[in-house]
Amino acid sequence: MAFFLHPNIVRYNCTCGSLKPISRIYFCRHCLKIRCGYCVCHEADSHYCANCLEILPSSEARLKKNRCAACLDCPSCLNTVSTRSTNITVQNPDDPNKTVTRKAYYLACGFCRWTSRDVGLPDQTVASGGWPEREHAHAARISSLLEHYKVLALRERQERERKKFTPRRSYLHFSDKFGLTAVMARKRAGLPPLGGLGIKDEAGSILELTPSVASEEVDSLPAEIYTKPINLAHVATLSQRLAQPEFQTELVSNLFPAHKHLMIKRSQRCRSCEHNVSKPEYNPGSIKFKIQLAAYYYVPEIRVVTCEPLRIGQECQLIIKLCNPTQHQTAIEFLPLPSAEEDLEERHKEIEEKKEKQAEKKNAEKTSQGRDDVSVLLPSLSLSRQLSVSEDPHPATVKLTGEVILPSSSVLLPPRDDAAEYDDAGDTYHFQDNPKVVVWRKANKAAVKMVVVPQDSATETREVLIGFVMKYTYVNTMASLEQKEPQKVDLKVKVFINVGKTVGSCI
Amino acid sequence: MELQDVYYNKAEYVETASGNKVSRQTVLCGSQNIVLSGKVIVQSDAIIRGDLANVRAGRYCIISKHAVIRPPFKKFSKGVAFFPLHMGDHVFVGEHSAVNAAIVGSYVYIGKNCVIGRRCVLKDCSFIEDNTVLPPETVVPSFTRYGGSPGVCIGELPECMQELMLDFTRNYYQHFLPAK
Repeated sequence: MAFFLHPNIVRYNCTCGSLKPISRIYFCRHCLKIRCGYCVCHEADSHYCANCLEILPSSEARLKKNRCAACLDCPSCLNTVSTRSTNITVQNPDDPNKTVTRKAYYLACGFCRWTSRDVGLPDQTVASGGWPEREHAHAARISSLLEHYKVLALRERQERERKKFTPRRSYLHFSDKFGLTAVMARKRAGLPPLGGLGIKDEAGSILELTPSVASEEVDSLPAEIYTKPINLAHVATLSQRLAQPEFQTELVSNLFPAHKHLMIKRSQRCRSCEHNVSKPEYNPGSIKFKIQLAAYYYVPEIRVVTCEPLRIGQECQLIIKLCNPTQHQTAIEFLPLPSAEEDLEERHKEIEEKKEKQAEKKNAEKTSQGRDDVSVLLPSLSLSRQLSVSEDPHPATVKLTGEVILPSSSVLLPPRDDAAEYDDAGDTYHFQDNPKVVVWRKANKAAVKMVVVPQDSATETREVLIGFVMKYTYVNTMASLEQKEPQKVDLKVKVFINVGKTVGSCI
Repeated sequence: MELQDVYYNKAEYVETASGNKVSRQTVLCGSQNIVLSGKVIVQSDAIIRGDLANVRAGRYCIISKHAVIRPPFKKFSKGVAFFPLHMGDHVFVGEHSAVNAAIVGSYVYIGKNCVIGRRCVLKDCSFIEDNTVLPPETVVPSFTRYGGSPGVCIGELPECMQELMLDFTRNYYQHFLPAK
């Protein structure tokens, strides 16, 4: 449970250069590389409300400004408000002398006891919905501005596309044959296609916009501002104001409930091979994944068990626990960190590889464009998926404050067996372990000894940071065109461990 | 960091056939209404109010010292009614926390000194930080981290939360040993 209690003790070096605990990294099975949240594409899969767990389609979510239609937040403490019902007596419309009891609903916060009656919102006769929406004073102006710039952006994009795709003359007779010339003509004129997507015809013409006018005169401050004492209980706090940036009410008496923000389920995609590394199920109540390539399931986990008191310049023993999460046996070996030059070389290789891949991709795109001119007519096809921009890997900036003497022999770890827990017979594996390296082993786990020597540089931070390369065998079960059989590959990952604080004063 | 062994006094704890380890220094009211599904640890001075309504705890639940598990009630026009409290598998409840939830899903971590208000719903794979106060009827969705007072969403959890929680509760059970 490294993640809960001490998240940053053992950190793995991602391919992009950042250091992350194992729970926060992914392992792309297609590139056989480690990826992290910084170097994958995040895609919003579904929008849902955190309170009622209702899924909204993305178009509807956009329409509702990413807020839930039913659930409201308390304006005072930002917690979800709940609906309360009371009985009220009203006059019978038919017979004024009689009264009837009716249910009335109001909103109440279970935490700060704010109610909708505090701000004078009238009670509702229905249990859900129907609360008045507050309209911003400048809402009409903002929407007209938005409209204007949307049209402008559309026009600019069309112009750009027209320049990019010059339709080949030789194919034009086809478009004539299939009655496409009208569409083409519209397109070349910078007009949106007719009908189809429901875009209005007049969207092509830019709306007239009245520019804002600055005025010299500003309302003067009210006279009582200098004399009247402030009651802070009536003034909204900063967090209350920032929760509703469009209103930023000054007084508590003007705080109105706001619709709850939606949350999203996200899928992650590897930027170099464009395969998903994580794809959750759409249902917000489900914790299952369609694709789950978290490193926790593929890369051996390292945990610190114990470390003797660290004294600068003295050898002390560090015991780490290795765990093999895969269904295949793995051999783990420890290597010292590569020197700066080797590191640089490796990085260059990586960048070269990436460039090659990108060039290949571009070629593939070109050929596909040459083949069918449909992409000219439907440029949005190429925009359906966000093009990934990947950054070159950068070196990890880690200042090591300890040296480590690594075990020379490799450690074999058996595959993970979920039934081992129920198996009383004990381990059936018999490995010839070097007792100087392996302290104990149990199922797919083993404890390994190594020696740490804190260096003088640890005096400053008093923390001892060591690093090494873990080499492990990974069985690649992905069937590709060239190879159908599972392939055994050796993979390397740089691991940095914060062993702990040094003890005793330094001489 | 690997968990350290926790030793308990063998005379203090009762171990059932299904592997539940329950301290004698606890207050278990209405024990006929309490179901512990196996390998559950209930530590000293914890209170489980089975007399109010049924309480069900799944496998590998850990209820720490001084924790209170109390079924929620709802006010109706004619008095109040208590609802059963269901807790999934692999749930951790920290020390001095009071849980009043209606449903606690599986793989949920509740920190120390928390108050989980009446009829809250904690979905699977959620995390409540230490010292959180969840107001009544709060819903904590999956893969979110709630904290503060009132408890609001302050972050998200890694996708392998299920596995982390499985590992944590199993490890805790394995390291919870009788003193020699």
